[in-house]
Amino acid sequence: MLEVDRVRVSYGAAAAIVDVSLTIGDRELVCVVGPNGAGKTTLINALAGLHRIDSGALRLDGRDVSRLAPHRYCDHGIAIVPEGRRLFTGMTVRENLELGAYRRAARAKRARSLERVCALFPVLAERLEARAGALSGGQQQMVAIGRALMAEPRLLLLDEPSLGLAPLIVTALFETIRTIAASGVTMLLVEQNVALALEVASRAYVLEEGRIAAQGAPAELRRRPEIRRAYLGLTEEAR
Amino acid sequence: MPSLALLAQSLASGIFIGALYGLLGLGLSLAWGLLGQINLAHFALALLGAYLTYQLGTAGLDPLATLAIVLPAFFVFGAALHWLFARFAVSAFNSLLVTFGLTVIIEAAIQWIWSADFRRLESHYADIRYRVGTLYIPLPELLTLALAVALSLALWAALRYTDFGKALRASAEDASMAQAFGVNAKALALLLSGISAALAGVAGLCIALSYTLAPSQIYAWVGVVFAVVMLGGLGSALGPLIAGIVIGVSEALTMAFTAPSWAPLVSFSLLIALLLLRPEKI
Repeated sequence: MLEVDRVRVSYGAAAAIVDVSLTIGDRELVCVVGPNGAGKTTLINALAGLHRIDSGALRLDGRDVSRLAPHRYCDHGIAIVPEGRRLFTGMTVRENLELGAYRRAARAKRARSLERVCALFPVLAERLEARAGALSGGQQQMVAIGRALMAEPRLLLLDEPSLGLAPLIVTALFETIRTIAASGVTMLLVEQNVALALEVASRAYVLEEGRIAAQGAPAELRRRPEIRRAYLGLTEEAR
Repeated sequence: MPSLALLAQSLASGIFIGALYGLLGLGLSLAWGLLGQINLAHFALALLGAYLTYQLGTAGLDPLATLAIVLPAFFVFGAALHWLFARFAVSAFNSLLVTFGLTVIIEAAIQWIWSADFRRLESHYADIRYRVGTLYIPLPELLTLALAVALSLALWAALRYTDFGKALRASAEDASMAQAFGVNAKALALLLSGISAALAGVAGLCIALSYTLAPSQIYAWVGVVFAVVMLGGLGSALGPLIAGIVIGVSEALTMAFTAPSWAPLVSFSLLIALLLLRPEKI
């Protein structure tokens, strides 16, 4: 469904990702792991139109979207849950969710989508009129995911959803991610918590210093000694 | 002790001048709060609008009908101004400098076209006044109040309840995130900047109906309207009107009870008190 073809993105003179290629099939949950500063957020932001790519192509069902205006990406069913959530904190939870359904195709189904999000996150149903900035971290993450789901995405991009959340909340969050994946939404997940990410993903890519260093099925990656050492051992200690 | 009639007269004139402050502050506040653009030229634009109303009105056009010409022209001007600001990535502080320069240019243009002599629009509106109790209320002032209330309420409702308004508020907070959800933030910014300039045109009409015009009048309201905008809250549509009336009434009462020269003290004391007590509001 999505084909990232030899993409390069840079900030000024510094290249953040170089020659990155990856594919995501229909209804797949693919994760990208890697250390801080490897370019994971740059990659996901480029996919959402938040950052222009220098060269390469982003093909959605064979059509290159990388030359579109930033506000046109979502027309193709791409929605993002960005790093740090980036909610519209001065607006209410309801307004944040409604804004998720801003694109024309999603606007018509707004009421039904809102019900669906409230069913997925019952705690949000009670806080719809609260200011988004007044919510707890976990609830804000729910709003960020809900906002993206309101866009009726075909491809959902999740950037570090577990960042800064308590372990118990992270477990619940990954349950939700599984539920969303099971409902037929294709997902790309960027995650620091490698152990957890490999549990939910059907395939994974390892991004190091802006390049794809390894890829494969989670079981296969887990067996590789360099990955065990660099990611699985360390992440378990860190937590 | 002033008489009851004087008190009522002060209250009324305070409300009317406050409405003009609110109307002048409305466009300024929206552009500042939602676009990060401090448009000092808003005042020059309002006075230019007043002169245009004067010119067209003197040529025989009904003052209200001049809006049909002034509003579209100002809308285009405002949108073009923002397009330039966006094109050259002008920061909020630099926008203050640029629009100060623009103010000087507009002032020079006004002086060149209409000279520094006083100009007064002779319209039949100015002669109409309504008697309420012991007060006489001129139609132009009533019109200013009505326009200020109607426009503030309409914009408040649009910002709060429409998709357009929500998209604007969202882009003010995080433009690229709003874009990721399909908001054409650039187009909305042009639209809002145009609306803001058109509001200066409306204020210009009100100024032309009630005041004698001179180029230096550009600077007459700068201080007090900035105070009104800050008191009302940046980006707020109802705030400037409410703050404008509060300041207008307190100024008028100060004038009635002490001397007219004390009036400016009130608005700035209020502003300083706000800065000291609730700095997070600004």
